[in-house]
Amino acid sequence: MRFEKEIEILNSKEKVWAFLWDVDRFITCVPGCKEAKTVEAGKSYTAMMVEKVGPFRVEFPMGIEVLESQAMSHIKARASGSDSRVGSRLKVEIDVRMKEAGEKTHLSLGVTVDILGKLATLGHSIIKRKADLVMEEFAQAIKNRLEGVS
Amino acid sequence: MLKRFRLEEPESVKDASDFLARHGESARVYAGGTELLLVMKEGLIQYERLINIKNIAGLDEVKLDDGVIHLGALATHCKLASSTLLQERLPAFVQMEKNVANIRVREVGTLGGNLSFAEPHADPGTVLMVLGARLVAGKSSSSREIPVEKFFVDAYETCLEADEILTGIRVPLLPSHSAVAYLKFGYLERPSVGVALFLAVDGGGKSITDARIAVGCVGPAPRRIEEAESLLKGKGFNEASRLISKAGEIAGDASQAISDLHGSQDYKEHIVQVLLKRAFHQAYGQCQSGGKGQGGLHG
Amino acid sequence: MAKLTSKRVEGQLIPISLTINGTLHEIDVEPHELLLDVIRDRLGLTGVKRSCDVQVCGACTLLLDGRPVSSCTLLAFEARGREVMTIEGLAQNGKLHPLQEAFIEHGGFQCGFCTPGMILTAKTLLDENPDPSEEEIIEFMQGNICRCTGYKKIIESILAAAKKIKASSSRI
Repeated sequence: MRFEKEIEILNSKEKVWAFLWDVDRFITCVPGCKEAKTVEAGKSYTAMMVEKVGPFRVEFPMGIEVLESQAMSHIKARASGSDSRVGSRLKVEIDVRMKEAGEKTHLSLGVTVDILGKLATLGHSIIKRKADLVMEEFAQAIKNRLEGVS
Repeated sequence: MLKRFRLEEPESVKDASDFLARHGESARVYAGGTELLLVMKEGLIQYERLINIKNIAGLDEVKLDDGVIHLGALATHCKLASSTLLQERLPAFVQMEKNVANIRVREVGTLGGNLSFAEPHADPGTVLMVLGARLVAGKSSSSREIPVEKFFVDAYETCLEADEILTGIRVPLLPSHSAVAYLKFGYLERPSVGVALFLAVDGGGKSITDARIAVGCVGPAPRRIEEAESLLKGKGFNEASRLISKAGEIAGDASQAISDLHGSQDYKEHIVQVLLKRAFHQAYGQCQSGGKGQGGLHG
Repeated sequence: MAKLTSKRVEGQLIPISLTINGTLHEIDVEPHELLLDVIRDRLGLTGVKRSCDVQVCGACTLLLDGRPVSSCTLLAFEARGREVMTIEGLAQNGKLHPLQEAFIEHGGFQCGFCTPGMILTAKTLLDENPDPSEEEIIEFMQGNICRCTGYKKIIESILAAAKKIKASSSRI
């Protein structure tokens, strides 16, 4: 599943870039993301992705790897994790592009989500809907944080 | 193999509710088990306790109660499908029940269980949405009635509180010169698209006095589509016929359809439109003949 | 949902008595045991099959008080005080049921895996409606899947069985 989002943030490129690498502040914008840790700054991180749908709950301990990054320009990362209770694996590929647009900073976010295992068939539509919501909430949260709203 | 759990068998709604209050998320109400046991077998969810409510007397009755049809939450699809009272008063509902899942599921599965589990790909919720149904939820020392429009919150989520049990479904009698049609489409084990329509016409059969449209299966929960209904209300047959495609388009857009293994979003929205059109002609025809809606099933 | 903890759910034994193919059995079952497993593994009646395991295919069909149920998705204790019929219980005193005879005579099975479920469900149909039309057979048997025969021979067998039953009852 592929998701794309354009986010316009009323703040400088420098501030936005710094925010993206400030793990503790950054993960507050990602719904369901908890317990983020830096393993090697700029290179690898871990986090827990928790999602609840009705009575169903999944927990994916994710390992995140930064593949490419160019200051003030773009980041490419990938993450993956397994929830053995539901026999499923979550794989995410993220690319973020940053552009200055006057007083604003323009973020182009591209996310590819793959679910393997039981949830791939049983939970396909639920996952798609959830992922849509997560993207939406993330975009709003990052705007709020960087535009000084919350 | 299922994981081990404890079985509780209360004999009253109060006792069942008390169990739920005491054990919270580690306990679940269990009736027919046709939905619950599937997800438990898959390992997607686990409970320490199942609260078997089938020993609570009186929860499976189907009767006319003071001018309102009462469907007990524990009535199986089979019992509902063969009820002479319902065949007479809610034939479209009976037609839907006759075609829920398969013969074995109908034998064991209950209406209350189906509604409480809130699986998106299901039939009963969509039909109840156009019947003005009210769901009765009981707990320790009280009960309340929930309009069906408020019942489904999201996929697998209802507005029932943690210690509440669905005990019955109350459906008002249909007015004369009205009809209900429910059409569904699917080729996987569960329905992919479901459209329910309630139409009422005036005594002369000239204009539509009331229209209720519900779409199920395509979105996270069944939905009433008021935006499409307003297109039909107050119109005569010819004008309504001209507008029905537009109404179907609105219904499709509003249905929150999502692309998945049942089909793409576009495809589902299109099928909603097709089924609504067919349901309209079917229901209108039945209104004309004074009937309350037989409901041919497969669109 | 309960988090997986190290707490072990205590075993709970439910003593049940049930009639299987006319014989009374008294056994203890745990709440989480499935009827399919109890019938096959504990009672050795292996005519009933586990196939899709999601109550869709009908290979696990058993008759519970004469009605078809998916034993793969039924808890064993639900059979307490009730009558279970398996395919092994159809033949009486060594004589095959007309449905079994008809399935043999008309080639209503190939691998035979769906067959016990098919025959038990067809029995329910004929008990309810002794003279079904082809359409009625197709509608009633919708929930039983066969991967081998293409269903034509199954329908023929059921029609033939109905004729047999009618013929033998008219001789009484």
